[in-house]
Amino acid sequence: MPATPLRIGLVGAGGIAHAHMPGLLRLGPVVVFARDGAEDLAAAFAETALATGSSITVVDSLAALLDVVDVVDVVTPTFAHAEVVRAALDAGKDVISEKPLARTDADAADLVQRAREAGRALYPAQVVRWFPAYARLQEAVATGLLGDLAVLRFVRSGAFPIRTAWFADTELSGGIVMDQMIHDLDIARWIAGEVTTVSAIAVRSGTEAEPVAAAHVLLTHASGAISHVAGVWGPQHLAFTTEYSVTGTLGSLSHRSRDELDSVADLAVPEAVDGFLPQVDPAEDPYGLELADFVGAIAGTGPAPRVTAEDGAAAVRIANAALRSIASGQPEVLS
Amino acid sequence: MTALRIGVLSFAHTHALGYLSALRAMPDVDVIGSDPDGVSTGTTRDELRGRELAETLGVEYADSYADLFAWGPDAVIVTSENARHRELVERAAAAGVHVLCEKPLATTWEDGLAIRNAVERAGVLLMVAFPVRFASAFTTLRATHDAGALGQLFSVRGANNGMLPLSRDWFTDPALSGGGALADHVVHIADLLEALTGSAPRTVTAVTNRVLHAGRAGGGASADPADGALPSAETGGLVTITYPDGLIAAIDCSWSMPDTSAVWGGLTLDVAGTGGTVSLDLFGPAAHGIATATGLPIELRYGADLDATMLRTFLQAVRTGVQPQPDVRVGLRTLSIVLAAQESARTGRTVAISE
Repeated sequence: MPATPLRIGLVGAGGIAHAHMPGLLRLGPVVVFARDGAEDLAAAFAETALATGSSITVVDSLAALLDVVDVVDVVTPTFAHAEVVRAALDAGKDVISEKPLARTDADAADLVQRAREAGRALYPAQVVRWFPAYARLQEAVATGLLGDLAVLRFVRSGAFPIRTAWFADTELSGGIVMDQMIHDLDIARWIAGEVTTVSAIAVRSGTEAEPVAAAHVLLTHASGAISHVAGVWGPQHLAFTTEYSVTGTLGSLSHRSRDELDSVADLAVPEAVDGFLPQVDPAEDPYGLELADFVGAIAGTGPAPRVTAEDGAAAVRIANAALRSIASGQPEVLS
Repeated sequence: MTALRIGVLSFAHTHALGYLSALRAMPDVDVIGSDPDGVSTGTTRDELRGRELAETLGVEYADSYADLFAWGPDAVIVTSENARHRELVERAAAAGVHVLCEKPLATTWEDGLAIRNAVERAGVLLMVAFPVRFASAFTTLRATHDAGALGQLFSVRGANNGMLPLSRDWFTDPALSGGGALADHVVHIADLLEALTGSAPRTVTAVTNRVLHAGRAGGGASADPADGALPSAETGGLVTITYPDGLIAAIDCSWSMPDTSAVWGGLTLDVAGTGGTVSLDLFGPAAHGIATATGLPIELRYGADLDATMLRTFLQAVRTGVQPQPDVRVGLRTLSIVLAAQESARTGRTVAISE
């Protein structure tokens, strides 16, 4: 921790807040505001805070949080990102926003412009760029190991998120495309370049209590490469898995999370499976690495992070184009 | 049991080699091949055509199709260039001979319908050579699905990636092949979707490119590989399909295995239902190693021979006269997906399929 660490505000206390908290506590004291669950979050990480010499303080309003912090990490539900990010930027704070940067293209563009005009940092937490299998892929492509990219496939599969109702509401969350597949849409653009056309098909099935959903998105890139991004929100028992297969003129690289485990157990009493978030190695927790990069850049002690506000807005535009394609039944051209 | 007489018409498709070898090894089958248009392009087994190939494989040879039909075959296997399936199927049907037709059934809808009409008029059996559906793992998947354990299917992903066929130029000459990777590799997974669901597809969307093998996949024998021109056939292809009941599917049909690969390619299928998921890697069973001199991987596959199971099914149908699957209807349905994918790639639009 730096001598005078930045004071970090966390807005929201849902699933991803739990993933962010260990990394945030390593960077400085954390002030939390949330409509629900702030006290539970603080209690769950009280020991961690103590062990890292940090602290968690719960406040009862966004204004109270903005009064006492330097950096705001927005982990509210998707539909509230824009409003909270706007308030934080208006208060002169640097901002980290959980993905998607905003639910709509207009909000995402507005946030990018406001941050630029305010001269504040705005970083979308597109954390898959920090997952090691994807970081290796980007390095391989950037160093020319794979040559010119031709065909890319990405898969992300897990359980349908039913712990809170807003995920299932496409108006609020953007559904599987905006909430889950935006990660791989961002990775496809990160490594194969700007996207020119988007076509998508989707399905929602199962029951009210146990819904399932899936989508297939096809992208063409300005480079000539083509990508397939597949997402599954399956039944509740389904473990979280990821895959990619990327082929270029000089080589190919593929990843399949369930084939690359560093530990496989076969116990009489099986371990619980997490269908909602990928397994991470705590020694190089991607959420912690991402937050350290963001806060380091904000503090002026580290380089520019590997994702920008513009990247966040671009990912939102691709996801919304996919949603329009699903609705119209025809491909969408991105300008 | 009387030996069945099986003719193999044309060695244009490399699968003819496997069929000839497998049939030759069967004690209750007499096999004769004929490849009147075949000209050897080299001396390796894959480059041989015509009588030279038949002699190398130890198979009887007929100099003309007329000679072969005069022998009185019970059935023929059509392994010509894709665009020439129609003329050979029509010839077999006219002779009252059953047909195992290499995939894809045809390269145009018109030819596909002509093939259907020819075999229906003649009352001969036609089976399309889709060996993958005979994999035991796929049989198990069908049983799992039929038993309800997968619940309602909602998403399928398939990848059938292979090398660009090297020893046969016509694969990349659309006039003979009907196209590139879309024509070559969409149909196997389309057949698996058919076998699994029996559903008629509703819409098809496809994107393609020619990034891989650029300058190699260039219009067949006439193209100069050195000129670096864009290939006339697509080498990369991604296809999505919707079904009336909501099921969505995606197929990667790209020729994305390099020439230097230790294996030809493979086929994977990932199926998601409300009851869970099943993932197949049908050519996955293999022993792996490393060659000391080069550091290159060794991959020795040990899965069952799918061609043999498919051929046994066909021969049994020829003996009993009972129509086997996949039949000409499946051939047409899988062709309709290929043709729609080609139209989508050409127009940039999603294409509706009406049967």
